[in-house]
Amino acid sequence: MGHSLLEALNVRVVGSGEKILVLAHGFGTDQSAWQRILPFFVRDHRVVLYDLVCAGSVNPDYFDFGRYTTLDAYVDDLLNILDALGVQRCTYVGHSVSAMIGILAAIRRPELFIKLILIGASPRFLNDKDYHGGFEQGEIEKVFSAMEANYEAWVNGFAPLAVGADVPVAVREFSRTLFNMRPDITLFVSRVVFNSDFRGVLGLVKVPCSIIQTAKDMSVPSTVAYYMKNHLGGRTTVHPLNIEGHLPHLSAPNLLAQVLRQALPK
Amino acid sequence: MPTPVSVARQCLAEEAAATLDDAVAVAKRRSHAQTTSLHAISALLALPSSSLREACARARSSACPTRLQFRALELCVGVALDKVSACKSSDEDPPVSNSLMAAIKRSQANQRRHPDTFHLYQQQLNSNSSNQTSVAVVKVELRHFIVSILDDPISTEIVDESSQRVGEILVKGNKRNPLMIGVCAKDALRNFIEGLKKGGTGYVPKEIDGLNLISVDLELSKFINKDLSEEMLELKFKEVADMSENCQGTGMIVNCGDLKPFVDAESVNPVNVLISGLKRLLSSSNGKLWLIGFLAGDDDYKKLLERFPRIDIDLDLHMLPITSSKPSASGGKVFKSSLMGSFVPFGGFFPMPSEQETRGSHATQSSSLCHLCNEKYEQEVSVLKGTPVDADYHLTNRSSWLPMAEFETSKRSDTVEAQDDKTILDYRVMALRRKWNDICQQLHRTCTSQDTFSEAKLRTFSIPPSHNVPIRNDSFQAGSVLGRTRLTNLSPGFPSELLNHSSSKPKLSNPHALESGANVLVELPVQSLEMDDHPNPSCSPQQSAIPSPDVSLSTDLGLGTLYTSKREGRSKPNLQGHSFYKLPMTHENIPSQEKQTYAKGLEYPWKILSEMFCWQFEAIQTIRRTLFCCRDGDSRHQCPKKGNHWLSFLGPDKVAKRKIAASLAEIVFGVSEHFLSLDLSSQDVTNLCNTGSIFCSHGSIYHDMKSERKMIVDCLADELRKRPFSVILLENIEQADFLVQSSLLQAVKTGKFKDSHGRDISINKVIFVMSSGVLKVGENLVFSEVVSEFSEEKILGARNLQMQILVESVHENTISATSVLVTPCNGMYKRKYTNPESTNSVTSKRLRNFSRSNIDLNLPVEDMEEDIDICRSDGESGNSENSELWLEELFIHVDENVVFRPFDFDSLAKKILKDIDVGLRRTVGTKIVLEIDQEVMVQILAAAWLMERETALADWIEQVLFPSIKKAQQRYNGTSNFVFKLVAYEGLVEEQAPGVCLPATIIVK
Repeated sequence: MGHSLLEALNVRVVGSGEKILVLAHGFGTDQSAWQRILPFFVRDHRVVLYDLVCAGSVNPDYFDFGRYTTLDAYVDDLLNILDALGVQRCTYVGHSVSAMIGILAAIRRPELFIKLILIGASPRFLNDKDYHGGFEQGEIEKVFSAMEANYEAWVNGFAPLAVGADVPVAVREFSRTLFNMRPDITLFVSRVVFNSDFRGVLGLVKVPCSIIQTAKDMSVPSTVAYYMKNHLGGRTTVHPLNIEGHLPHLSAPNLLAQVLRQALPK
Repeated sequence: MPTPVSVARQCLAEEAAATLDDAVAVAKRRSHAQTTSLHAISALLALPSSSLREACARARSSACPTRLQFRALELCVGVALDKVSACKSSDEDPPVSNSLMAAIKRSQANQRRHPDTFHLYQQQLNSNSSNQTSVAVVKVELRHFIVSILDDPISTEIVDESSQRVGEILVKGNKRNPLMIGVCAKDALRNFIEGLKKGGTGYVPKEIDGLNLISVDLELSKFINKDLSEEMLELKFKEVADMSENCQGTGMIVNCGDLKPFVDAESVNPVNVLISGLKRLLSSSNGKLWLIGFLAGDDDYKKLLERFPRIDIDLDLHMLPITSSKPSASGGKVFKSSLMGSFVPFGGFFPMPSEQETRGSHATQSSSLCHLCNEKYEQEVSVLKGTPVDADYHLTNRSSWLPMAEFETSKRSDTVEAQDDKTILDYRVMALRRKWNDICQQLHRTCTSQDTFSEAKLRTFSIPPSHNVPIRNDSFQAGSVLGRTRLTNLSPGFPSELLNHSSSKPKLSNPHALESGANVLVELPVQSLEMDDHPNPSCSPQQSAIPSPDVSLSTDLGLGTLYTSKREGRSKPNLQGHSFYKLPMTHENIPSQEKQTYAKGLEYPWKILSEMFCWQFEAIQTIRRTLFCCRDGDSRHQCPKKGNHWLSFLGPDKVAKRKIAASLAEIVFGVSEHFLSLDLSSQDVTNLCNTGSIFCSHGSIYHDMKSERKMIVDCLADELRKRPFSVILLENIEQADFLVQSSLLQAVKTGKFKDSHGRDISINKVIFVMSSGVLKVGENLVFSEVVSEFSEEKILGARNLQMQILVESVHENTISATSVLVTPCNGMYKRKYTNPESTNSVTSKRLRNFSRSNIDLNLPVEDMEEDIDICRSDGESGNSENSELWLEELFIHVDENVVFRPFDFDSLAKKILKDIDVGLRRTVGTKIVLEIDQEVMVQILAAAWLMERETALADWIEQVLFPSIKKAQQRYNGTSNFVFKLVAYEGLVEEQAPGVCLPATIIVK
């Protein structure tokens, strides 16, 4: 499977250098989301890019509804890719759902990761007694029905909200990749994501983490970043980004790239 | 339509038919609606010495024992079968699925083509060509049958992917007992146990059916709480041991439940007894016994390991993060497959979101299909919806196996439950969609999603079109005397379009400049700095008509406006120098030989420059010397061919650095358009602008750069391409991003500037000026160390505020001796007076509001203040170790590091206050007391620092400040018991006074 997995998930390795950097895209995007970040790293890193199996750029036939019922299957994919590439140690940058995939991967194979850099990460989206995840179950159900009723309309409404900042190019870009996803897959993945609860496992992460949190993220309240910081098991820092939106790599790539470089392990 | 078993059997030879029978039996036992390839594989594996086993044994590497591999394979198949939904059992044999039938037909074709038997079949075919059952003529041999089955996508998926994964974990010698950790771990364990108990009804694969379960969780917690004696515990363990010894099937799993009691136990002894007991159980069970347990949180796991450091080794615990919460569960179906699926690898058994939900979600969307295919697809969908039962779809077999299998299952069972109808329909729609996707991909490649992606990829790595990046391009046209003069000095070395460009613009001086009487024309040599391979004979100094270097003329050097931006379309202040508020820090000790160098023709502009910025005299001399030495090749021994020049401007006085860099463009290139300034600060200027910074109102590049998604290094590269001759000022160089860093470093070493795509841009005629507040690498900004009333830091924080004059009555004895003074801005003055007017409280409230407006309300303030581990993404953290190394290296390579001196704001403040005092006495009267709020004073100082025309501030005082005070005085009848206060007023300046960043009117209360 190794080789075909690399093909199926469009794995690319670009750049040169000793250090290996994995850029893992989040929900609703694909690896093209990193295009404006990439140049900042290819001169001194080998950068691994891949698409999550749910991305619109992956043949939807590979999406096995029986297998991708939890994020663990995505973690398998990630670890299989890294193994197939012979990666021994790497720095991992994960956005949104990939941040959580990175966390699970680092719990399973701590020796593989030097550092996790988490962008727009949330261990749990739903509110709880003492926890503010930003969403109520009812709201989410509404989102799901909207998604089912008219996917295109939902995409067009959701994309500007997610991008947050007024950057039309970024909104276009995100709409494109989001719309490329097959609607049933989008819904399925959203359910998996909203069903996930990482709060009980954050402490199992021993790898150092950097959390990059924008000033206003419609899916992740900023308190979540500090929750993560307090609960992650490794040494963790928070880098507040003074811009808005869930997709800083699309809306403010220059700024994000600079912060990412600061967050790289020394 | 599935094929009846009897029809399928006709196509098979004896041995193969027997296999099919077994497969049918498997399907029937599991109450599956159809017999698929999976069932066939399961049947083949069940035989102790089937050809499949042999083939596998031969093919597989010997990396791990074959026995385990088979075990893994069996489990995989079991899991896969488990995912096929069961239907109500019927007495009939489950018919052969389309895909299995297709496999049979493929094997027939294979066999027919096979050289050994080809002729035989040809003959047969000829002899009864009319025979309808000709397909049945070829009896498929078992080996062909197996090959075809394995070809079936349903099977390949398992053999390829899952077996690898499962094998890996089963082979694992240690850590095979799952300890589930997570908020939802309890639910996950409960679901798993329920599944095991229900076993045998199609919920559990038969391989796990044999796994016996025994729960000891109650006994464990009772024992820890001393409610159970050690003897009773031993008995229980003995029972478990006996059971595992005698158990049939796969083995035994011991449910230990919540391990929280282990963590909370008062003393460690009973727990240690438990652990050793369990350990004994494990070691005596010969690998046929597993433990399972859970903990709700990682903190408990941590404590568990702290209290019992060896527990994970002793009990072979495999820590298993559980992150998926159970959706509102509705019966076994919810978790049936995923639970078991993940039991096998012990790799996370999670309840799966209800399949109804996922299937129901499938809209008839067809985004990635082209129009034609979409139409056909929708046609078929509508047909399907009309006749839900019988449509026969030629499914392409590229679909993923699970939905396929269920789809096939559903075909049979659509009469079963009304609830299922929608599900079935959805699966059919999905299958249809897949079919049309495939067709579309094959036929109309332009509209498939994959193509969209490749297109996107192409786009990804092409350069984005240059979309109007408004880099500040300071132009000096307004009032630039030089600009006008230059036209008479046309030099062939300049790109003509540039000249046309500049000459086409009106060069009329601002009327104000003319009024100021400082309009002596100065002709400057255009090209005073000789560049490599760019000799410029036409602009020899002799041609310039240089007026006598009289000090008063120094005001005539048109330095233009540095801080206006074209975008804003504001009127550009016409500024003609800076000597009005000449600073007290004059340099009397200028070495005489330096003075003599003025005699050389080229020195004139330098002289003007050093007089304008007399406190930066050394800096200017260093710059001059560096550029001249460079020309002579004196100090260029490392790289003599280099035509570009590199200067770093270090230390304080940001404004002087800007102005001097801009003048360099005029001195060296003669054209002010050849100046480009770029602030690399990573500080968010949007915020700065929101607070109305006086420096922001001059138009900051940073904002435009960062909001653009174009990389800064590419913006810079574009500008360098557009302007091969220029002075490039890079402010806050220490905050350059990585790409700019590496490109600059390479450029300073090689003379080539690389953009992000690796393309070289020649920088032979470029003077790079890198400005930084640091004095030495690693040091803090210098101005923060200077102890003064008005530090540069404070001035840089000035805001462009509207002003107002308040009048307050005071007791005579409190009036101070000096009539003009600065009061602290924190509203303290209010307390001095016994009789504060209501306006005071308004003022102070407003002031508080202003100071608060600096805080970004979006950020959780308390959190950020408490947290020490937060890396602010502003300049301070920009000085990371790597950046410092880089800066150090860069400064080593530049031609000269020019150190600037701090601007003496305190002296300037004194001078301004004195001037106002003198002016007030003259114009208003002697008995006037004016208190200037410190915030306003900072604003005035900043404006004075920035202003280009020397008299601008004096004009403002005469034309705006004094009249306002007069007006206020008239209102209060000139009583001496009043004090006038110049304070900030709510809101930013709307109309600006000419030539200076101060309000054109002052509100008088």
